[in-house]
Amino acid sequence: MKVYFLLQYTLTNRKLRDLGINPIIGYLLGAIGFVVVSEYIFYRTEFATYIVMLVAFGFLANASEARRSDFLKIVFGAQKSREIRMVENAGMCIPFSLLLIFHNAYIESTLLLTGSILLAWGSFKNKFTYSMPTPFYNRPFEFAAGFRNTFYLIISAYGLTAIAVSVDNFNLGIFALLVIFLISLTYYVKPEYEYYVWVNSKTPSAFIFDKLKTAGIYAAFLVIPIVVALVLLYSQNSHIILICSLLGFAFLSMIILAKYSVYPQEMNFPEGVLIAVCILFPPLLLAVIPFFYTKAIKKLNLLLE
Amino acid sequence: MINVNILEQHYGSTKVLKNINLQFSNGQVYGIVGENGAGKTTLFRCIAGLEDFEGVVTSEFSPLKNHLGLLQTEPFFFSKITGEEYIRLLCNGRDIVIKDIAERNIFDLPLHQYASTYSTGMKKKLALTAILLQENKYYILDEPFNGIDIQSNILLTEIIHVLKSLNKVVIVSSHIFSTLSDTCDEIHLLRKGEQIKSVQRDAFKELEAEMKSFTIGNKIEKLGLT
Repeated sequence: MKVYFLLQYTLTNRKLRDLGINPIIGYLLGAIGFVVVSEYIFYRTEFATYIVMLVAFGFLANASEARRSDFLKIVFGAQKSREIRMVENAGMCIPFSLLLIFHNAYIESTLLLTGSILLAWGSFKNKFTYSMPTPFYNRPFEFAAGFRNTFYLIISAYGLTAIAVSVDNFNLGIFALLVIFLISLTYYVKPEYEYYVWVNSKTPSAFIFDKLKTAGIYAAFLVIPIVVALVLLYSQNSHIILICSLLGFAFLSMIILAKYSVYPQEMNFPEGVLIAVCILFPPLLLAVIPFFYTKAIKKLNLLLE
Repeated sequence: MINVNILEQHYGSTKVLKNINLQFSNGQVYGIVGENGAGKTTLFRCIAGLEDFEGVVTSEFSPLKNHLGLLQTEPFFFSKITGEEYIRLLCNGRDIVIKDIAERNIFDLPLHQYASTYSTGMKKKLALTAILLQENKYYILDEPFNGIDIQSNILLTEIIHVLKSLNKVVIVSSHIFSTLSDTCDEIHLLRKGEQIKSVQRDAFKELEAEMKSFTIGNKIEKLGLT
């Protein structure tokens, strides 16, 4: 068991180093981030306890995936693998349980910890073969897969728009619009497997143009219901809706270009800094977008030319 | 036609391909054989332009990669994309519009299911279907027979024959000699990154016997099985 956890520790350290983060600083940042985000959730909503439990069970479900559980069983045997999973699950839940205790949610904390240990006896096998239809049929890639992963967030954003309309809160509507763009951005954060770029018979510039066009059309498809609702009800604020939409498209384009500017590597600290600076001062997009574009063309030349 | 001239590849100080010279003609099927680590997949990746290398690879249709269907040993599928969408994605990459995917699904794959839920054999058949529908001039099939059922094996052998009759260049690697002797016109043997020999169809039997004797040697006795 000790060997297994030492290996997990080594793997985590390796992942952090690959991201250019010193492991000690990584753990420290992780702990601070956990406290800050969770306190923010408790500050913002009365449902924080349930959100925390949901997130914790999400991690547990991931760790209880059938193939992973089977692998542990094959390597360590039934008894030892169950012990490993009990320790692992409990370890994963302790920060969440402590957080719940800190907020006087003793019953939820006990439920979470007990549930995590009991989960060591089960695993989640995905036997569900249903595939969700998407409106992104013609160019099935980032948006088709992304939509299936985040459809509940998109529905929530539409729900927020409905609330915004019903309580006459324009800012909430704009927030929902930006949430859709934010969700779309996440579809382009990770670099795809090189084969999916190589297989294109396009020049790098045509490839980039095609990516931007597809992202633009599909993102527009998702934001149109919100834009239409806001324009109809707040026509006097049409200019704000237009500016926010344009910024959304600009940030989407920037993320796509940033991804290919370091392809096939993942985006890292320097790209993150440039993106953050653009969020703080959007006019910089005018300089950063061409910068990422030039770098992306160079990187893609290696695979496409 | 594809010409490979003086192709070399290094990983650090290790030379993984040494002075490879090969010519692949239209309407011919070529086998590449060699032990694990002999350099077959690296050679394929170099021809496909997925890796930098020293030497020259030329073809009548340029750039070669835009006319090449590459079946990888372990095709990669990202999550939440269906079989049909995968085919569409690969065809989009070549600006080919496929309208009758269901009809051309000769391996009877569940195209509406997520590809990541397919078995190993089904994944290979899906990747193969996609590159066949791309209407390529050249095909590199890296271990296409691995993991697929016997019916699909028969079908794949026939597909290779049809590609040959359509004047395509087909390069196949396999660890099952019979699959190569059934399909290939010429087999190239690689060993530790070197091109050891090239054998025409009439000498396949001798090649198989030679490989057997080289591979087995006295290794079984060394095991000391009792």
